[in-house]
Amino acid sequence: MSGKPAVTTEKIFFREAISRAMREEMRQNERIFIMGQDVGAFGGSYREFDGLFVEFGAARVRDMPVAEAAMVGVGVGAAAAGYRPLVSVTYMDFMMLGFDPLINYGAKLRYKTGGRLTAPVVVKTTAGAKGQGVAHSQCIEAWLMGVPGLKIVAPSTPADAYGLLKAALHEDGPVVFIDHKRLFPVAGQVPLSEGMVPIGQAHVCRTGTDVTITAHSFMTRVAMEAAKLLEADGISAEVVDLRTLAPLDMRTIADSVGRTGALLTLEEGQVTCGVGLEVIGRVHELLGPIPSARTGALPAPVSSNKVLEAACLPDAQRVLEAVQMLLGKRSRRSGRKIASFVPDGQ
Amino acid sequence: MIYRISVPAVADVEEIRVLEWHGEPGHRFDSGDLVVELETHKAIVEVRAGQPAVLRQVLSEAGKWQQIGLPLALLSDDAGEPLPEEVDSAADLMVDFEIT
Repeated sequence: MSGKPAVTTEKIFFREAISRAMREEMRQNERIFIMGQDVGAFGGSYREFDGLFVEFGAARVRDMPVAEAAMVGVGVGAAAAGYRPLVSVTYMDFMMLGFDPLINYGAKLRYKTGGRLTAPVVVKTTAGAKGQGVAHSQCIEAWLMGVPGLKIVAPSTPADAYGLLKAALHEDGPVVFIDHKRLFPVAGQVPLSEGMVPIGQAHVCRTGTDVTITAHSFMTRVAMEAAKLLEADGISAEVVDLRTLAPLDMRTIADSVGRTGALLTLEEGQVTCGVGLEVIGRVHELLGPIPSARTGALPAPVSSNKVLEAACLPDAQRVLEAVQMLLGKRSRRSGRKIASFVPDGQ
Repeated sequence: MIYRISVPAVADVEEIRVLEWHGEPGHRFDSGDLVVELETHKAIVEVRAGQPAVLRQVLSEAGKWQQIGLPLALLSDDAGEPLPEEVDSAADLMVDFEIT
């Protein structure tokens, strides 16, 4: 025996976390198959299905035409018939086309049939802005959070992507799995041993005492960056990675806000009827009035113009200023009074 | 003269994984020879020697991760030149790289 500690994790790319989860689950359950554009020989738009076509063949890794409504519809139907499809919708914007089969059929099937039928389908999709413009950049997860029967996960790390995708493939109802264009260049440690991350558990990824920042997906990284900036300003921020948006882990969120006494929500999507508003509303129901504020995209489409894209999206500096405003402090760094970044009338 | 090969700046990439070295220490590369292949989140980067040089010491073995701009290996004009203790003192080897 060597004196070295046992190696229990390996560093892999975000896309490899997804392909590993798929490979393990597809080996164990022959009812799992993949449908989507470029998922076959090409290996997925982000190479997140690399190697699966070679191992499992064209019947289980199925290339589809650009027809999201049909793909999600076939996925829900196949799930009702006893399969466990993963439908890959390359851009979350185009999930809108699959809302009817997903929401009207998939999410309601178990209820409507008194439990005789279920729709264990995973719709995997990629959200977020990375220079691709108004109809390829949106984060519309909040639209889905009010659908009974639908679970939604949005990991920020390779380890959580791996664990949550495996958990999603074991669910008995539809799960929307959301990744992000800017997460694909990320690499991270993933446990070598097989395992799942339970759906419905948030994760405190940084402890703090002055304010809680909730975020999910890529914005968790922005929140962590902002927390470092805040530390330099003498503000101790706790960061809660929601990981699952439906069902929300209110115990972890409320525990955190109860300790820090202030809540800033952060999301890349719109704040109107957004994830953050739901988090704030439920925290207030549990804890009573707590100083709270939302950060998210400005109420504008996300441009493919880099300057306009950056102007629309929240970044660490904007989070920093929102926290300072929330806590009634001025920025020591700039010395100027913090102005509201929310335009009038919002 | 002592040279180093570093991870070339590839757009959108923070970190790469070394896929394969195409020579052991002591191997002489000619201009245009494939020296090392690096793996990004979506592509393979082929790094080719832009000048003749002898591979002396691999600093990031296959399978290891390295960030953009950080050194991967030391090389020299002649096989017997003593290596410096500080990697930073080595000059950058001229390289061409291609993303496939």
